[in-house]
Amino acid sequence: MPVPVVEFTDERLPNGLRLIVAEDHLAPVVAVNVWYNVGSKNEVPGKTGFAHLFEHVMFQGSAHVGKAEHMALIQAAGGTLNGTTWLDRTNYYETMPSHQLELALFLEADRMGSLLDALSQENLDNQREVVKNEKRWSYDNRPYGTWNEKLLGHLYPEAHPYHHPTIGSMADLDAASVDDVSAFFRTWYAPNNAVLSVVGDCDRAQVRAWADKYFGPIPANDALPPPPDLSLPALIGEERRETVEDRVPLPRVYVAFRAPVFGDRRLDALDLASQILAGGKGSRMHRRLVREERLAQDVAMFTLPFIGGASINVGWVTVRPGVDIATAEAAYLAELERLAAERPTADELERAKALTEADELGALARVEERADRLSMYATLFDDPAMVNTLLPRYLSVTADQIRDAAREVFRADNRVVLTYLPAAADAAPDDAPRDASDEEAA
Amino acid sequence: MSGLELVAERPVPGEPRAYEFPATVRTQLANGLRVIVTPMPGRALVAASLVIRAGAGDEPAELGGATVLAARALTEGTEVRDAVALTEAAERLGASLHAEAGWDSTFAGLDVPGSRLVPALALLAEVLQRPAFPEREVDRLRDERLTDLLQAKADPRRRAEEAFVAAIYAPSSPYHRPSGGAAETVETLTAAELRTIHDRDMDPARAAIVIAGEVEPDAVIRDVEALFGGWAAASAAATPGAIDDTSAVTGRFVNVVHRPGSVQTEIRVGHPALRRRQPDFHAVSVMGAILGGLFNSRLNMNLREDKGYTYGASAGFDMRRARGPFAARAAVNSEVTIPALRELLAELERIREEPVSGAELRAARDFLIGVFPLRFETPGPVAGSLAGLFVHELPDDELVRYRAAIEAVTAADVQRVAREHIRPDASAIVLVGDNAQFGEALAGEDLGPVTLIEDTEG
Repeated sequence: MPVPVVEFTDERLPNGLRLIVAEDHLAPVVAVNVWYNVGSKNEVPGKTGFAHLFEHVMFQGSAHVGKAEHMALIQAAGGTLNGTTWLDRTNYYETMPSHQLELALFLEADRMGSLLDALSQENLDNQREVVKNEKRWSYDNRPYGTWNEKLLGHLYPEAHPYHHPTIGSMADLDAASVDDVSAFFRTWYAPNNAVLSVVGDCDRAQVRAWADKYFGPIPANDALPPPPDLSLPALIGEERRETVEDRVPLPRVYVAFRAPVFGDRRLDALDLASQILAGGKGSRMHRRLVREERLAQDVAMFTLPFIGGASINVGWVTVRPGVDIATAEAAYLAELERLAAERPTADELERAKALTEADELGALARVEERADRLSMYATLFDDPAMVNTLLPRYLSVTADQIRDAAREVFRADNRVVLTYLPAAADAAPDDAPRDASDEEAA
Repeated sequence: MSGLELVAERPVPGEPRAYEFPATVRTQLANGLRVIVTPMPGRALVAASLVIRAGAGDEPAELGGATVLAARALTEGTEVRDAVALTEAAERLGASLHAEAGWDSTFAGLDVPGSRLVPALALLAEVLQRPAFPEREVDRLRDERLTDLLQAKADPRRRAEEAFVAAIYAPSSPYHRPSGGAAETVETLTAAELRTIHDRDMDPARAAIVIAGEVEPDAVIRDVEALFGGWAAASAAATPGAIDDTSAVTGRFVNVVHRPGSVQTEIRVGHPALRRRQPDFHAVSVMGAILGGLFNSRLNMNLREDKGYTYGASAGFDMRRARGPFAARAAVNSEVTIPALRELLAELERIREEPVSGAELRAARDFLIGVFPLRFETPGPVAGSLAGLFVHELPDDELVRYRAAIEAVTAADVQRVAREHIRPDASAIVLVGDNAQFGEALAGEDLGPVTLIEDTEG
């Protein structure tokens, strides 16, 4: 089917704010999305978790908005909203009935311009506790919940900006002060470090006029720090293994690799490789490990794309009761090796592309996702037009490229094997059946 | 102040663009199958789902889990194709074919580019009308479900939900168990039993096919007629029988599921409450938003934004064909378990005792009304909601009149439905966490009898 083209305008306000607008009048709905070019990679040792804690503070009020009022005003206007923090970004977004667009722009501008006017020790202390409970809920009190933190620690060396998880450590969260928050805001939350995308039922000229009105007075930061050095060898250089005893009933083996950076054509090929290997019931590993040999309760594989140094390819196999863990791990690795040795068949490639195409079309049908993609490609690549070129890129990947990417990445000296074992008290009983990410503010 | 000349004045909303729930065409085939088609111009990815009024709530206790397994088995092979061939055929169309059952219905569906809708509908017709229930695949699905039950026990959230429904429904009610069944019955299920469930309940007379997206209704109806017109009616009545929703809650009591070393306590408080088809639906929706639905709900503002006890507190009604549960929920750090529980119970009292403020009422109504067009931006949710109307035998114009009905809810309505449908004095309190952290404080509270549940492990 023809790939729909997103038409957009791309301009800058005098203070450096990049404004991208795409009109789409199908539904009376409009999405507002702000990406700040700051994430947990910009944190310094001793202050991990800061970008994300800060994201929470962004909902605690500003000069003309009270604590938690941002959420209240958006929801009372019939809108939805959230914010997320990840290694390479912090984003904030609202989806509104189109006649309420101006409210969302007012609110985003007010906190970009005047967050510190409302910052208090009390609000910081409150959100610190909320975030600590988020860490307990999403990581510490969840089966296998520590995998992300552990893999980052193995894939990236100690001093690397991707080494620590976005949620940070309890000790660093406890140490965060109001002064730290102020300094973080002054450094990173400037219009020339942000992209504002507006997609949906709106008028371009009107959006520009509102952007000038609300964001225009906010001064640029002329001293934005240079981007951190993310450079890294393509390969880890050794196999790293860790075994964790946890409160889990079934063993699970995570296998992760350093992979090419986001935007590299080889990563497109690796995405399709992940689809062929573990994307759904037609995939190789689901067939072999889950269906035929019944070694696994489930299998998965995907890439976590990052802009510098190395991305991550990660997957897991959850081992069925009574199955030897080493056997399940070996079967998983054997499928990686097979793809590194032989090209996928034409039929496999066609199915992987058809599913990728449908997924992309489904995602881009929503104004919220389209706005997020435009902000992302503008922030990370200075190229919002990637919203239109990414799918054609996927569809042009060849079987040779998939094999070559698999060969380059799926190497023993480039992998981390993280094995979760049931702690003695939580092991599955012997008579059990046998035979056979992102942190969000709300 | 920042000294910036930021605009201090809040903008006033513009003129809302007229919006109506998309016009929908309905018809019925000779075998009883309803056909519901919603054209949505510009929406090239079309959603198609076939829904049947037969769910886990309709199965006998000794076959607990059979309906969910039977639904999952639909895509595991037909008389003409095995599971792998079926999956590959769907994938070539760019579609993932899903089948699942819930309490009230069984569902099979897919999203597919409109140009490939007809072959996709043919696959849907094949799995519904000619499933094979291959023994080998059924055995595997059954084992996967049993293993999943083990996983559920280890996950504090799932353990809490399971302990909660077991506490609030009498053992005679299907709602007492998970919709996918408990181990005792799941492990005995056979392919023949799944086929029996299918042959008895999967009847066109109690089914509807819903299609939304860029389609031409007359053409789609012709295609559906060609593919589903030969689906023979069995003996099932168009409406399934009543579901036993007997409550086990009389007074208030506490069940503690002890998890030594747990860093949080999962709290659930509630009781059996409401069926979907009842006159208070819109008032309850507004009340639920104020109590525990909105970000600025009373529970979240108190437990999260004021006290910092939790990442999020919420409450809501799961409305089913029979009375589904009302539950208030929060995961709190262990040492504040009892203070958090006290605040949560106080909010359940307060929504009953005092009328909500004008501002709260307006915010909740405006949210539900304003977010309505956002919910239906793409075909999937449109098809899903129309299928829901069919399952619950609601009027065709239910969605069309939704916003006016919400607008009409008053503060007095909110208080009345809170008093009628939220009963903190007749609630189960379920705590999944480290009893050593809060057990003593709990004993000092007057919350009713306390039962300690220790999961057998190892």
